[in-house]
Amino acid sequence: MSASATKSYLFEAFPVIDSYYFQQLVIGLSQGMTYALVAIGFTLIFGVLNAVNFAHSEVYTIGAVAGLFVIGAYAPPLAGVVLLVAAVGAALGFGLERLAFKPFRRFSDEASLKSRAMRESTLMSSLALSIIVREGLELVMGSQMQPVPFNYMLNTPIVLGSITIVSGDVVIFAVSASMLIGLQLLLKKTRIGLSIRAVSNNPLGAKYSGINVDRTIVSTFVLGSMMGAVAGLLVGLYYGSVFPSMGFAPGIKAFVAMVMGGLVSIPGAVICALILGVSESMATTFMPSAWADMVPYLFLILTLIFFPRGLFGGGRERV
Amino acid sequence: MSERFIPAAVIAALVLLVFGAVPLALHAHGGGYYYQLASLALIFILLASSLHLVSGVTGLLHLGQAAFYGVGAYLAALAGVAYHVPFWLALPLAGLGSAFIALLVALPTMRLVSIYFAVATLAIGQMINIILMNWVPVTGGPNGVTLFSPMNLFGWEITDNTGIYYVVAVTVSLSVWAIYRLSYSYYGNALRALREDDQCAAAMGIDAVRLKTQVFTVAAFFAGIAGALWAYTTGYISPNDFKFSETILILAMVVVGGLGSLPGAIIGALLLVLLPEALRGFGDVRNIIVGSVMFLSILFLPKGLCGEVPAISLARGLLGGAWKTDAGKKVGWK
Repeated sequence: MSASATKSYLFEAFPVIDSYYFQQLVIGLSQGMTYALVAIGFTLIFGVLNAVNFAHSEVYTIGAVAGLFVIGAYAPPLAGVVLLVAAVGAALGFGLERLAFKPFRRFSDEASLKSRAMRESTLMSSLALSIIVREGLELVMGSQMQPVPFNYMLNTPIVLGSITIVSGDVVIFAVSASMLIGLQLLLKKTRIGLSIRAVSNNPLGAKYSGINVDRTIVSTFVLGSMMGAVAGLLVGLYYGSVFPSMGFAPGIKAFVAMVMGGLVSIPGAVICALILGVSESMATTFMPSAWADMVPYLFLILTLIFFPRGLFGGGRERV
Repeated sequence: MSERFIPAAVIAALVLLVFGAVPLALHAHGGGYYYQLASLALIFILLASSLHLVSGVTGLLHLGQAAFYGVGAYLAALAGVAYHVPFWLALPLAGLGSAFIALLVALPTMRLVSIYFAVATLAIGQMINIILMNWVPVTGGPNGVTLFSPMNLFGWEITDNTGIYYVVAVTVSLSVWAIYRLSYSYYGNALRALREDDQCAAAMGIDAVRLKTQVFTVAAFFAGIAGALWAYTTGYISPNDFKFSETILILAMVVVGGLGSLPGAIIGALLLVLLPEALRGFGDVRNIIVGSVMFLSILFLPKGLCGEVPAISLARGLLGGAWKTDAGKKVGWK
């Protein structure tokens, strides 16, 4: 049987299910986009410091909370909210780096820059900070979901033939695509991008050739956290709810996407975030959604075991 | 003579404290709440000690210990509810079941190092928790399991608070003693070698993957024992008792006490169980305290409250943990 015959056979056999799966695919893609939004900032920070920033999920949450606060207080147009939240994210990134990462770069010799102790202490300090922030938020605003004002929700339906998307899908797609392109331009075309790439390649070498490593790391955190905060805001508006622990699951998924994408590759992380989103939404058609939560963890384990270099290759030290 | 006398005196003092002074004080001040708190502290001492073995001595950042604790608790509780397995049998069953699952998990993942290992264990912990939460026909899902049967030791049923405290104290003391013997021995030294540089250790003839698998399994065994104790002391368990935040709590105990130091893990467990209880007046701030204590201790006391070096000299000098050559010289750790 030729390929085209198989295809038409499939269409005849599953005329209804086909558009259902297509809708599910679109839902998965938009979910994957929200993961990609988080993964971009996360991968950027990891690429430079080679240290996992557990507090990225809290930057995401605070971005959403700050957006909600701004909307409640001043009700500016959406673009204004996004800009304000990006500013909040920048401040958070700066503070985070100073509090949880800077104190552990006590020495700048090669051994301590590469040492496991430094990596693991920043891992734990960012983890501790993220707990403090999350529990603090819970204490202040309660663990309940905070509803988003109706006119700010990104859920106006748009019908495209047999499938339906909402305005949030378009916004999130546009924002993540522009983030990705903007970031690539920044990394490839500007001086600060050059220094970020240099530091991520070899911090000591960058330092010897006159790059201010400290400032580069801070600016990476500022950039990554801006993106994280905007991601939190958009996803909060998209799903119409904001709550203190909202950052945990996307944070994990961003990490999975980063590992699958080969750790330092931002486009790889984005593609893997999309794969993750699609496979999750496909999984919900076969099993209850609570079980579908297993999918990203399973992907992570399988990637680590079978593709330790990530799906898109790329050289890397021992996993 | 004093070389034998000091260790004996220190151990006798510790035994007197755990089996004499604490139950006496509990008896005098009464109240089921204090008994519950004492059992909780002991259980977390065991959990912190088990994580100390993996994260402190072997240097593997394990972010899924609470899940193995949960597996033990569920095994004990479900065996008790569904098959009326008595406590004395459920306790080793919980430990062995938990160790078995850890072994299954360890076989493929134990080759991972540093952060990849941490994230793999995080994922496994989350997967176990999702299973506990969603496998409703067996685990009861979010409603948890209520265990009605009392602690049954070979037909002798223990129902009073002091008795339960003694059962927990004996089990925890024996387990901590076993962990102490493991971590301050040649075996422990091999694990420390893996922590410092596993490739180098492998070149020296240490089977890195096998040793790591062993220590991961043993730690899960003790976590399972702790879970069974928890199920029997509270009588009710739910998946929320074994969330990621519990893993972080246990990790914080080990970090605050000092990575690689067993006395440190015990001190950290006591601190992080008792401090939030002492500050209950300020509302539900347990996790904020845990986070803050952890953050401050990483920042200002990177070696912990009782670092590894003092812990080793403590073990050698006070607890008689070193052994002697024929010439009478102490060997062990310098």
